[in-house]
Amino acid sequence: MAKSDYLARTIIGCRNGDSACFSQIVDTYASRLYGYFFRLTGNNDVSDELLSEFFVKLVEKIGSYKGGSFESWLFKIASNIFHDYLRSKQRQKKLLDARKEQLESEITEPKQSGSERIDKLQIQLTKLDADTKELVMLRFYSELSFKEIAAMRSEPIGTTLAKLHRGLKKLRELMER
Amino acid sequence: MNNQNEENLKELFERFADAEQAEKHVEDVQKAEQILREYPAPEPDDMLIANIKAEIAMRLPARRAYVFRRKVYKAAAVAAAVVILGAVSLRLFEKDVVEPQRMAYASLIPTVIWESNDIATDDEDLAIFTAEAEQIEDEVLTLQFGEDSSNGERAVSELEMELIEIEGDFWKG
Repeated sequence: MAKSDYLARTIIGCRNGDSACFSQIVDTYASRLYGYFFRLTGNNDVSDELLSEFFVKLVEKIGSYKGGSFESWLFKIASNIFHDYLRSKQRQKKLLDARKEQLESEITEPKQSGSERIDKLQIQLTKLDADTKELVMLRFYSELSFKEIAAMRSEPIGTTLAKLHRGLKKLRELMER
Repeated sequence: MNNQNEENLKELFERFADAEQAEKHVEDVQKAEQILREYPAPEPDDMLIANIKAEIAMRLPARRAYVFRRKVYKAAAVAAAVVILGAVSLRLFEKDVVEPQRMAYASLIPTVIWESNDIATDDEDLAIFTAEAEQIEDEVLTLQFGEDSSNGERAVSELEMELIEIEGDFWKG
């Protein structure tokens, strides 16, 4: 059976409330989604939380998937979840102004504790601006084409292409230092 | 594996830069993505995956109930729409039956004039036409009884034609 047919059947199963089909989706996409969340937050606990939240959302929203690129749809949800997380963190920042610096470092910088492995890439990623970092991670983990990413972000393909090229080039320079 | 493989990066960059630059851009992208592959992100914990699956299984009955409720609401809405449409159609159909009766009254000449016993006072044009017609009628009768001596037959024909013309004008409004 072709991969697309298999995916289509799995999606239909999910829409009908088949837990085995949801498990297949989890097995297929959890790793990539986790990577996406981890590279954006640099934190295992937050990534765990966001991944769980993502699949809860998926159960709620699967009925609204109207065809097209499933990956694009999934990563749109993932991106929204990440932005919600950023917003909630910003609200916390305002409330806990005294702890501002500490909280900021939690959002933007990798936290090395416990089993977390902070690699060179994670450190260099913090030197990219938030939008570029998200775009680079979206491209890498969603495996979407430039055209699909541009459509997902509702921006012209030339803009997406230029931003991604600049971001990837900068990341490459940072990593080669 | 993915849609990226089907994408011709060079062709894409060439839309915005010359061939030489486009080639360099493609190289930048490919090398950076190679670096990203060399530094894989950690994998989600097996326990986390098991918990997520359990959470999904727990939420599914609620989702199924929600989907069922939505279907019921949709069916109810469709049924209501059918009933309303049926009622409206029925009224329209009844109207169609009644309509010919109302159509019987439709005419260029108002009902009041049709039903009036004194047409002349009800419509000025009609009064003029009626007077003319009566005058011509008198003339015809006079001619027919030989009261007018000159060109009897031709005069009768002319008057009849005039009468027909007036009648025609009258019906044309």
